[in-house]
Amino acid sequence: MGSYRVSMDIGGTFTDVVTYDEDTGTFAAGKASTTPGNLSEGVLEGLGSVIGRTSDIGFLVHGTTQGLNAFLERRGVKVLLLGTAGAEDSYHIARGPRTRLYDLHYRKPEPLVPRRDVRGIGGRIAADGSELEPLDEAAVRLAAADVRAQGHGAVAVAFLFSYKNPAHELRAREILLAELGDDFTVSLSHEAAKEWREYERTSSAVVESYTGPIVRRYLLELEDRLRSDGLGVPLHVMQSSGGILTAESARARPLQTLLSGPVGGAIACAELSRQSGRRNLIGVDMGGTSFDVSLIVDGEPDVSAEAQLEGLPMLMSVVNIHTVGAGGGSVAWSEAGGLRVGPRSAGARPGPACYGRGGTEPTVTDANLVLGRIDPEGFAGGQMTLDTDAAKTAVAALGESFGLDTTEMAEGICTVANSKMAQAIRTITVSRGIEPRDSSLVAFGGAGPMHAVFLAQELGIAETIVPRFPGAFSAWGMLQTRIRKDFTEPYFFLDADLDAADMAATLRRMQEQGLATLDDEGVKPEQRAVAHAVDIRYEAQEYTLTVPLTDADEPGRPEFLTAVAERFAQQHQDRYGHANLGAPIEFVALRTTAFGDLGKPAPQEWPVARSEEVPHVVRTVVFDGRPCETMLIRRDDLGAAHRFAGPAIVVEATATTVVPPGFQVTVDDAGSLIIRAQQEVEA
Amino acid sequence: MTTGTALDPVTVEIIRNALNSAADDMNATLIRSAYTPIIYECGDCVVALLDADHQVLGQSAGLPIFLGNLETCTRATEERFGREVWQPGDVWILNDSYLGGTHLNDVTIFGPVFVDTELVGFTASRAHWIDVGSKDPGGSMDSVSIFQEGLRMGPQKLLSGGRPERSMMDIIATNVRFPYPTTGDMHAMIACITMGEKRLQEIVQRFGLPALELARDEIFRQTEVLERAVITAIPDGVYAAEGVLDNDGVDLDTPVPIRLKITVAGDTIDFDVTESADQTVGPVNCGVAQAVSALRVGYKLLVSPDLPGNGGSFRSMTTQVRQGSVLGATAPAACQWYFSHLGLLIDMVARALAPALPDQVAGASHGDSMIVLTSGTDPRYNREWVSLEATVGGWGAWNGSDGESALINNVNGSLKDIPIEVLETRYPWRINEYRIRPDSGGAGRWRGGNGVVREYLALTDCTVSLWFERSRQPAWGVFGGEDAVGPEVVINPGRPDERRLLKVNGTAIREGDVIRCATGGGGGFGDPTERAAEDVRADVLDRHLTPETAVSRYGIDTSAVA
Repeated sequence: MGSYRVSMDIGGTFTDVVTYDEDTGTFAAGKASTTPGNLSEGVLEGLGSVIGRTSDIGFLVHGTTQGLNAFLERRGVKVLLLGTAGAEDSYHIARGPRTRLYDLHYRKPEPLVPRRDVRGIGGRIAADGSELEPLDEAAVRLAAADVRAQGHGAVAVAFLFSYKNPAHELRAREILLAELGDDFTVSLSHEAAKEWREYERTSSAVVESYTGPIVRRYLLELEDRLRSDGLGVPLHVMQSSGGILTAESARARPLQTLLSGPVGGAIACAELSRQSGRRNLIGVDMGGTSFDVSLIVDGEPDVSAEAQLEGLPMLMSVVNIHTVGAGGGSVAWSEAGGLRVGPRSAGARPGPACYGRGGTEPTVTDANLVLGRIDPEGFAGGQMTLDTDAAKTAVAALGESFGLDTTEMAEGICTVANSKMAQAIRTITVSRGIEPRDSSLVAFGGAGPMHAVFLAQELGIAETIVPRFPGAFSAWGMLQTRIRKDFTEPYFFLDADLDAADMAATLRRMQEQGLATLDDEGVKPEQRAVAHAVDIRYEAQEYTLTVPLTDADEPGRPEFLTAVAERFAQQHQDRYGHANLGAPIEFVALRTTAFGDLGKPAPQEWPVARSEEVPHVVRTVVFDGRPCETMLIRRDDLGAAHRFAGPAIVVEATATTVVPPGFQVTVDDAGSLIIRAQQEVEA
Repeated sequence: MTTGTALDPVTVEIIRNALNSAADDMNATLIRSAYTPIIYECGDCVVALLDADHQVLGQSAGLPIFLGNLETCTRATEERFGREVWQPGDVWILNDSYLGGTHLNDVTIFGPVFVDTELVGFTASRAHWIDVGSKDPGGSMDSVSIFQEGLRMGPQKLLSGGRPERSMMDIIATNVRFPYPTTGDMHAMIACITMGEKRLQEIVQRFGLPALELARDEIFRQTEVLERAVITAIPDGVYAAEGVLDNDGVDLDTPVPIRLKITVAGDTIDFDVTESADQTVGPVNCGVAQAVSALRVGYKLLVSPDLPGNGGSFRSMTTQVRQGSVLGATAPAACQWYFSHLGLLIDMVARALAPALPDQVAGASHGDSMIVLTSGTDPRYNREWVSLEATVGGWGAWNGSDGESALINNVNGSLKDIPIEVLETRYPWRINEYRIRPDSGGAGRWRGGNGVVREYLALTDCTVSLWFERSRQPAWGVFGGEDAVGPEVVINPGRPDERRLLKVNGTAIREGDVIRCATGGGGGFGDPTERAAEDVRADVLDRHLTPETAVSRYGIDTSAVA
């Protein structure tokens, strides 16, 4: 077995590769252009740029956007949906909310299946799981005939109460596979998401059947290529939950990988939290056209049991990533004599004026360039040279309409953008009941470190951290995670009605099931772990909180109800600011997660600086309206324990860090830049 | 271009964003801390920051219907007690329908904001309380006087100098049916305005009051300029629309007409509803403040949907409301069901302005909450239950698109229906059918959205109340688009004891009874004969139209595809 641990993160433009050499204990990062037509081509090229032989790889993890792109570009397979006769419109009624209140022309999220491709199938399960009416098997066979005649590529089956009793869904699959062949894709709602609420569960099954065949084909092809290239270990795939799976399991449950793209950053933040002992972090991932915020609260990533994509719900564990604003691509413009920045984005095409792709409107990236905060030659790892004159022209034209010179206008654009981003972060923390001041800010992505110190200042955050390889931080995060398998069992009881022994027995069953699946993942017995939790709410509330249990047997112990009610009340207090210990609580679902530890890189000691002196050249950069003599420092020249004061710009292949005047930078043992206000450092 | 102020545009924009964000933070605090789903799920709430002259600096509305009338509460308080009544740390409460405009369940909590000793503004929040002690739990469909509708407050002081007024809080706790969640929501609202107070103080301390005032004037100016430009583009003239409610919920035979006259002159627009019906015996009345809010919603939908509301909004707009009418109710008129005619009025603004704004308007929507309220004892758990549902329906078509099917009405915000699996697990009902109702949307070049059918089977004896509206005047079409089919409720269809009714406050239902509720569709847009044949065929394939209606309404035989 080889000695390299490797992660690959395929983005829209670039594929990032991070390797960790277990023999030498060192990391390296590489980048290749993503090849949209043939993704496995780009992956192999990216790998080749950092590793000699594929057979040297001892562990490989991969974040894929195949399913997501198929969804976003609406080029998934044609799906036939089977629902319970009488309730088959659930998917199109979609619970009926209007989420844009002042829109007289409101449309619901565009469904993935048109109504003509929905069949109501006779047969009914009651709320207690009993059968009221047998499955209409002839109707299922007719549906199979439709599939053959109309060329559907997959069938989603979502019957009422299948989470209570899946017999009808299972029988429907038997019939469909007998009619259509064993390789045909049939997604059952109780397997895609074993939870109540028929619309959300149906939507989960539809998304899985819509994207599944594409993800499967891609993973099979990539595994084949890697194996013939000499890969001797299983390929692992990142999940939306922050854990990983073997590609083989991901092919069976492709939904779990759908939102894995940005999750690596949050997992990286969680690992940084663990390594550095900082319990609360706000992760800021800013790219050319995106700005994502994630939270680490008390050492853990913020995970939800439900996600939405373009308004369509999916019931699955997902790390919460809040997308706010458009990052560097946000357009600055004038409205009724007022300055606005965003929400419109120049996107990647035409992109900011400085991309030279025909954009003429000034963007945040243009403003940064005008101020000297971006090195025009070193943008995106030197893959692109920026046109400073085009940026100046665009910014100057807007400045003229406000009576501001080009520099004032550029700084104004950045200031407005920073204050908007900071306010968006603050509102996210308020919704979660967190005070930003109690966290450190972690900046990554190509543009995150450029704005981070300004954001921290605006939010009253004392400390900004810029990790090593900020552009490849997400890929680094993927190397830090473990196998994760989530299991859910609806379990609806008021506390007074609970049969605690039955709850414990159910959890033990789920535990066995979870541990058994780790066999399939190739996890050794001593590396297995299981965690249990229960979704609880106060009687008649809509939302639940997931409350951890000590172990599967906890419900059987005499003090269980008191203990779990207290735990729930404490969590409710933290999350919502109030609790009502003693009020009746409802159990809604049991959750079991099986973890498999596949090892991770040891925390890296960064080489200590050989001298106190910081190698640099001097550039002129504008801060607070004044041109300042600013140190331009190469990140590679910095060693642990280096200290220097702003103004400074730190450049590296994947990112640029801007340190305004009045801030002090220290390089810590792991090579991260720790940036604090000067007076606080001195105090 | 000059900005008209001494303040630079960057600072103005930062302050503008900070004020909007402060309102978002208030809203997030309220939603996060609220106890009852009607606030955190339906968003039946609104928050605002006001300046010292009661002008809106920033707001965040959960429900459009609450748009821009929180300032009436601080104004009314000042008019009654004088300017000097405002003291640091005080918090006030008000729910009087004739001051706040809505039913007593909508409670407004507000307080002054001081920096040092100077009054710099106010923060306010309004939210729906699940019960305020009306004659029936949660409110009645047949109240005939405000005195049947619960505790009427205010303005009253809730906190003095930051200390709770225990006597006032005791009055509240002893007059509502569910004191625990209700006082919980009250404290969430106090937390919300306290968050706003803190944010406004931070803004004043960071930029200084003079800069804030300059920025405010410039922000208001920008909003006013943008809105006046839209009004100016509307041809001068008088635009009118008439609508009608089926009845007031008590006297079921008498319709309640609502009349709207809009006069556009240059960059001003006047809304006159004085010709509307006199206030009714039944509870479909509202105070003037709420009529103004509804007109503002109608205006905003067409004029400035994307602009955050502030004190510069609606400066081009005037309103005429008659005291003693259903839109300007006076004591002791019942106001519990205050929103049915307001939803209608919002649709009527679009109808009136259709000739001037053909690309912005749409056909009418199904229009009301279509309530099914059930209660009884669940034999499975031997426990009492109360279940309240609003039913979705069709929305109107507009130029370029069919209307949306199965969507909640405008006064219910982003409310979601109750899933069948949740409903059947919690309550002794079975849903036989929940489907989109074909042919219910109005025909047109663009077709109105369809309503739904939701059929309930009772698994035990219980009590049911219903409020279905808009049968006399189903959603109208525009520009030659046809009217929609209205709502229909049948108890035990096809059985000898079949009953048809739309509104009832508590009727006995037996185990095995079936209640079949059908909601109306939305109005069509444009001449149906101009609808593309392939769109008609697609509608038949997608079961929005029956083949028969394809022939009768559009003259297209789809038997080949269907």
